[in-house]
Amino acid sequence: MVAAVFWKSPQRAVLMIRPRLIMLLGLGLIAVTSIVPALREALPDWVVRLPSEWLLEPAEPINRFLAWLSRRAEIGPFEVKEITRGLAAIIEVPLSVLQGVLVKGVEVPVPGGEVRLAALPWWALTAALALFGQWAAGRRAAGMVVLVCFYFLVLDLWDEAMLTLASVAIAVMVGAIVGVVLGAAAHRWPRLDSFLNPVYDVMQTLPVFSYLVPILLFFGFGPVAALIATVIYAMPPMARNTTLALRRLPPSISELASMAGCSPRQRLLLVLLPAARQGLLTGFNQLVMLSLSAVIIASVIGAGGLGNVVLQGLKSMQLGRALEAGLGITLMAILLDRLSRAVASRRPSHGRATTGWKGHPVLLGSVALMLWGWLMVQAAPASGAFPEALTWNSGRLLDGFFGWVNVTFADSIGAISDGFVRHLFRPLKAALVALPWLGVVLFVALLSCLIRGVGLALGLTAILTFIAITGYWDMAMTSLYLVTISVLIATLIGFPIGVVAAQNARLGGLTALVIDTLQTLPTFVYLIPVVMLFGLGDFPAMVAIVAFALPPAIRYPMDGIARVPGSLIEAADMAGCTRLQRLLHVQIPYALPEIMLGLSQTVLMAFGMLVITALVGTRGLEQETLVAVSKAKVGEGLIAGLGISFLSITADRLITHGAARLRRRLGQV
Amino acid sequence: MFDNSSIIRCRKIWKLYGPGAEAAAGLRADALDDDYLGGHGLVPAVRDATLDIRKGEIFVIMGLSGSGKSTLVRCMTGLIEATRGDLFFGEDNLRGIDPKRLIEIRRHKISMVFQDFALLPHLTVLDNIAFPLRVQGIGREERLARARELTDLVALKGREDRFPHELSGGQQQRVGIARSLTTDPEVWFLDEPFSALDPLIRHEMQDEFLRLQATLHKTIVFITHDFEEAIRIADRIAIMQDGRIVQVDTPEQLILKPADEYVAEFTRKIPRHRVMRTGSLAGPATELASGSPVLASALIADVASRVLTSDRPVPVVDAKGAIIGAIDRERVINTIFAHGAR
Ligand SMILES: Nc1ncnc2c1ncn2[C@@H]1O[C@H](COP(=O)(O)OP(=O)(O)O)[C@@H](O)[C@H]1O
Ligand SMILES: [Mg+2]
Repeated sequence: MVAAVFWKSPQRAVLMIRPRLIMLLGLGLIAVTSIVPALREALPDWVVRLPSEWLLEPAEPINRFLAWLSRRAEIGPFEVKEITRGLAAIIEVPLSVLQGVLVKGVEVPVPGGEVRLAALPWWALTAALALFGQWAAGRRAAGMVVLVCFYFLVLDLWDEAMLTLASVAIAVMVGAIVGVVLGAAAHRWPRLDSFLNPVYDVMQTLPVFSYLVPILLFFGFGPVAALIATVIYAMPPMARNTTLALRRLPPSISELASMAGCSPRQRLLLVLLPAARQGLLTGFNQLVMLSLSAVIIASVIGAGGLGNVVLQGLKSMQLGRALEAGLGITLMAILLDRLSRAVASRRPSHGRATTGWKGHPVLLGSVALMLWGWLMVQAAPASGAFPEALTWNSGRLLDGFFGWVNVTFADSIGAISDGFVRHLFRPLKAALVALPWLGVVLFVALLSCLIRGVGLALGLTAILTFIAITGYWDMAMTSLYLVTISVLIATLIGFPIGVVAAQNARLGGLTALVIDTLQTLPTFVYLIPVVMLFGLGDFPAMVAIVAFALPPAIRYPMDGIARVPGSLIEAADMAGCTRLQRLLHVQIPYALPEIMLGLSQTVLMAFGMLVITALVGTRGLEQETLVAVSKAKVGEGLIAGLGISFLSITADRLITHGAARLRRRLGQV
Repeated sequence: MFDNSSIIRCRKIWKLYGPGAEAAAGLRADALDDDYLGGHGLVPAVRDATLDIRKGEIFVIMGLSGSGKSTLVRCMTGLIEATRGDLFFGEDNLRGIDPKRLIEIRRHKISMVFQDFALLPHLTVLDNIAFPLRVQGIGREERLARARELTDLVALKGREDRFPHELSGGQQQRVGIARSLTTDPEVWFLDEPFSALDPLIRHEMQDEFLRLQATLHKTIVFITHDFEEAIRIADRIAIMQDGRIVQVDTPEQLILKPADEYVAEFTRKIPRHRVMRTGSLAGPATELASGSPVLASALIADVASRVLTSDRPVPVVDAKGAIIGAIDRERVINTIFAHGAR
């Protein structure tokens, strides 16, 4: 390309120089200077790392500001604290009622004292949930509900499971309302949409740990704080899907509302939202799954429930108990996913009335059963307890098993882990940490200019500079190295699987099933077996990240290749391609944009898991957010969390815009 | 058939899309030429449209896709506001109309049928039809009773409890039509109501539409891109090209006196005898004419066999029975085969 320019006479060459070419040259120059040690040493110090007196230290001011806001600030006649505590009290009511009904029992004030009502008996709840499963997804789902309920009963995890379920239910309720309201507002006012979108990006990528403490400041310690953290984490997809679904409605639906003379309220409630129902329910499914994931994580600040069992198990090395609870979470996730999907895909059909209770005798039966069971248990409290003789604790057995595994395979596991750490982890980490920060920032800026434009370049420069100037650059590179290795390995494993699975419909179906199941599991679950087998450190963290990020690494290449038009395949065959040639010259190039989108999803998932691996002792920004929780360092946690969020947004933007550019070039608009 | 008072009057309506459309609204009309619009990146969806819709007529707006038909009709219904020009619905000027008044008009005086049906997927046929009444806060029993009457009218009896996705395209549009009639509107807008349907079904629906109108006598604004459809149902047709109204006339006049080559191109493939009426073909009355007379308003196609089997010219009478001329074999044959010779 360089030759192409100097081919012409010198004057014309000047005219011929195109900005793209200069940028490409710049990219090369920056890369070489940053990587070659001899050149790097020639750079001024501040290019490599900002000297400490140049750094901003916003943590302290943030702490002071939040302390002021949460203790003394006033809005009108109220203190902020009063408002937030009031809000907490409002949310607390349904949560404690639900927890009371499901687990703890409820105290009802009556004239002259209080009456304690026992919680719903397990048998009534199991039967009622089974009926609900039957209504939503048929007989097999009902059977699954019963099995899962008995799993919790037999292993004596019932109370914890119900606490988790209660938190998920309330979080989903709040998240659904907030999400639909925000989503509808963003549809109505596009300006609001362009403001909310980056906010959602940050909310979805910000580590939960980093905003737990600020929430504690405002809402107090306990289940409500956990609930609010959960809603922050899980709500964005609901809002986004709502906006998207409303936007996808044919314009005639909105015109119909106008022509029928709807008021703005009627337009939204009677026409737009019901017509967009399918899209809303897609968001609802994601809301449910993310809520479960976050409720488990929130056990760190005392939300109780299954997550707490796992956490305690991991801490005290009672791995058997942790595994039981982890498996329980897995079962609950699969069940919730299945049920919320089934509810989403229910289409009304004639012969089944849709309005009122009349059309749903099964559902009505389910509610009646619960009421009856509740009355029964008040009369005979003993009937609410699961017979002790039927419970069974596998913990000991499993602990023994894992002890044996560890002893027997310690050497080989240790050898593998050592090999990875010595030959891959350390060199890569050293290389990344050695890079001058300015080189990285300029490289990203030029690259984003090339694939998208100046706007993106400015945005990414700003957020990366933020990391450098707050003094978290080294930690950011430490986080980045773990993610990079994990994504690399996930791609190396996932891509071939995806390519092979795409060649065969049955294999593809099976793979999709496995991936879909894996994808429903909350991040926390992945830690359990990893810690059991590999203990603590970067290697187990990597294994967990790879496992969590694998599904999109398989899925996107698989779908992308399966979607290559049949006519192209036939053309390749008619040209006499071998299977391999067809794959290399036709299928993979055509599917490349989709494969790149898969990569960006893999990266986002990797960052999502990275945050949790702080629990097994990694050392990057994610560790800082976890430390912030235990030491209540609000500012530090928020800034480190923003750092992770910014890293993952940068990676995501570069890859998705690159994919979009490629797609345009291939003419696949 | 209808009195001549206009129910909708469009006066020099423009609709521009693009940045700075507002600024262009203040300019003089002759400044808005192609150069100006192109230079400012403005799309003229409708330019300088002036027309009257008369009470009781079927007014068809015909034009190729993208010629601005939908935009013009959406200006008439207040769904979008014209960039310039005035639009009167009865006494009301739609420019700057009170939103409450507009809601009133839409609830009681006008209704619309959409090309893609725009049925609400979560409601049954009956609830879809009753929907406009629900918006008005009318009780469930009453509105469902009204909806049941309409299911009979559009031949959907027995499917009241179906959901839209359980119906064929033709049936879905019947629901759309029934829904638009629920409020017994004065003016009925139909935006390419049959374009999404297969040709056979389309033809059947046109027949039913005419049958319905024969009992309802609504004022109708009907959009189509299909000239044959326009000819079949229209009292008057407006032909649009690139946002402009090129000609407004009866089907017969369009064929006899196309305003320009563009209109003529449309009329070329239309069999004349299906459009032309005896009156406009009749020669001077002669003594030779005999036999029972034909009406001046009858289509040539309908009287052709009578005239062709008669040895002598056939007298032509107006609605009052007075003889206004005569028609002979030669004229009929020329009409039937004329367009082949052109
Ligand atoms: N909302 C809009 N924004 C920009 N251009 C539009 C918009 N709506 C219509 N147009 C343009 O106006 C012209 C007329 O469109 P339309 O009235 O839908 O035509 P028709 O109904 O005759 O097919 C088209 O060129 C179309 O691209
Ligand atoms: Mg149109």
